[in-house]
Amino acid sequence: MADKILIGISAQDATVAYWRDGRIVECRTFADDDAGQAGFKEHLVQFPAMPVHVVVDAVEEDYRFETLPHATGRDRADMVNRKLKQHYRNTPYLSAWLLGRDSSKRRDDRYLFSALTKPELLGDWLQAIIERGLPVAGVHLMPMVTAGLLDKLDVKATNLLVVAQHAGGLRLTFFRDRQFRLSRLTRGDSGKVEGHARYFTDEISNTRLYLHALRTMTLDEHLTVALIDRSDALQEAAAGIAHENPSLECVRFGRRDLADRLGLDEALLEASPYAIYLHLLGLKEPDSNLAPATVTAGYKRYQARRGIFAGCGAIAAAAAIWSGTNLYNAFMVRGDTEDAGRRTAQLASQYLEATRLFPQAPTTAENLKKTAEIGERLQTTSHSPQKLMAIVSSAVEASPTIVVREFGWKYGTTEISAEGARAPAAAPAVAAGAAGAGQSSTRKESALIHGEVRPFRGDYRSAIATINGFAGRLAAQPEVAEVRVVKLPLNVNPALSLSGNTLDNPEQSSSIADFRLLLVFKPGA
Amino acid sequence: MNQSDFEALRTPLLVLLAVLVAGAGAIFYTDRLLTSERQQLLQQQGQLKQAHVRLQKSGDERDIIVLYLDRYRQLERTGFVGEEQRINWLDGLRLANQQADLFGVDYQIGTQKAYPFAAEFNPGQIELNQSLMQLRFRLLHEGDLLRFFDALARQNAGIFTIDQCLLRRIDTRGVIRYQPNVNAECELSWITAKVGAAAAQKKP
Repeated sequence: MADKILIGISAQDATVAYWRDGRIVECRTFADDDAGQAGFKEHLVQFPAMPVHVVVDAVEEDYRFETLPHATGRDRADMVNRKLKQHYRNTPYLSAWLLGRDSSKRRDDRYLFSALTKPELLGDWLQAIIERGLPVAGVHLMPMVTAGLLDKLDVKATNLLVVAQHAGGLRLTFFRDRQFRLSRLTRGDSGKVEGHARYFTDEISNTRLYLHALRTMTLDEHLTVALIDRSDALQEAAAGIAHENPSLECVRFGRRDLADRLGLDEALLEASPYAIYLHLLGLKEPDSNLAPATVTAGYKRYQARRGIFAGCGAIAAAAAIWSGTNLYNAFMVRGDTEDAGRRTAQLASQYLEATRLFPQAPTTAENLKKTAEIGERLQTTSHSPQKLMAIVSSAVEASPTIVVREFGWKYGTTEISAEGARAPAAAPAVAAGAAGAGQSSTRKESALIHGEVRPFRGDYRSAIATINGFAGRLAAQPEVAEVRVVKLPLNVNPALSLSGNTLDNPEQSSSIADFRLLLVFKPGA
Repeated sequence: MNQSDFEALRTPLLVLLAVLVAGAGAIFYTDRLLTSERQQLLQQQGQLKQAHVRLQKSGDERDIIVLYLDRYRQLERTGFVGEEQRINWLDGLRLANQQADLFGVDYQIGTQKAYPFAAEFNPGQIELNQSLMQLRFRLLHEGDLLRFFDALARQNAGIFTIDQCLLRRIDTRGVIRYQPNVNAECELSWITAKVGAAAAQKKP
């Protein structure tokens, strides 16, 4: 629990309590005069940037119970603010506390409006606090803080009147069904112990009459009085109250009892009547904060700073956990890697031991095998012109007028260059597959045959028929993929011009009937 | 938020920024560290698996060495494995010319290059190279071409492939006597293999 300053302010003095580790560790009271104010300011110096919670005990307080139509959000805030302004025009210290929903059909909202009607009471004290740069967390009225006392006292009563002697007089706070309904601070005291009983009895009676007038409680109803006797000086008064009012039950809480129930040091109870309320305020701050935003601006900043620092802590913790997890995992993975490395080295060592029995070899077993296989494959799969030459020879034997003048052979991914192949094809390809002369990645054999028809007597029709017949015999071979006639003795392509003289004697003509054939083997043949 | 609010929150915001940067940096660094460690583990596991398989197959490896060593040595002797043996090629050409009764062979050997069809043999660590040899010679008839290449192969001067040949008939004007009748131009590829030395775990 964070350290904080708890201040109880009354018309007579201010009590400053230092809250640390869930309890008040120091409590000092300063009178409302120059010396007291100076001491108050000096005392605050030792608490830098610590939030301040204020409780005010004053006669100048006001409470109103209101029922408003149920609303939510901004509508509710606007309506409540309007109502507060109507009731309390001259003070910034006001508050609206939503008590709950009404049990009527409309189920309206029930509010407790409260205000400190004399803000000057706080002026000098708050000024000193703000000057010291201490953030003001809230300003509360004493009865609101007193509500926290009910749980501690553990008094089971429908109508409970908490009575306590304060510096400014007698404080009587009434709770019905454990809910605050009314509080009075009476000025003055009899001053004499023997007059306490009468004074207390009178004030309790006055309060009952007032409650009756407000129709909060009838005079016939049973009332329990919780008498806070921090000085153990009201035993007689308690007895007198019970004696004079038979319808009253008076329960006195002495110093030891209070110290035990609240967990307070008895010395603190003796030091100030406000120690009880400051302790309650330290334990739990009530919802009814009177302080306007201008007063709590510093506290908002304080909260924002703490929130950001808390966020920093959370982020740092998350990053530390994340990074730590990563580091741990990395450490574990590294361990696995080292383990795998050790096992690899062990296996390598075993393998090395095994290789000592191997015959001496110039390279690895895989290289040996692969080299031998490549060498054998190169030798066994080598190609030569032999097959193609044999096919051409057998075709020539069947065509005695064909004379081969030139024979080219190639084994590669491209076919042998067909000189003159750029000329328009004289005849369609005599092909088994009729594949084009396209390139491919597989190698194949191809040949270019340059020959002529001999003898040639100018009979182009016969010569071309002989050449086509020769090409057809070649194409009929199963290994041959394609035979392409790339040149004929006479180019009859209609895309080209053709000229000659019909009077020329074919017998005496010097022209020859040459041709070119491109022959392609099937891949793998 | 006004100026005084900002002044009040400046230090916490700076601390927040620093924590964010430091936290992000720490997470980034440790993430990368973890990723790197995981990659190293995967790599090491791969090596472990290889070592395992290699040890398991060490018996097979010995059998392979026994089976292929002689053939490998033979290829070394023929000049297929190792550096080019051009003198052997020329000696082979000379002898083949004599044995095929040719009229002499002109040759031209190009520079050594990577064998373009090496991928067909999936050579792995073996580097296959080739040197192109242009040959020009004359033949009595076409059959001499095949006899010449058969004779050249028998010399065991290396491994070669015939890439292309061009035979052109010489015009002898009908005179029949012992003389060249066909011009031949051929291109051969002499192929050699460079084999890496034995790995560290192998015996030299």
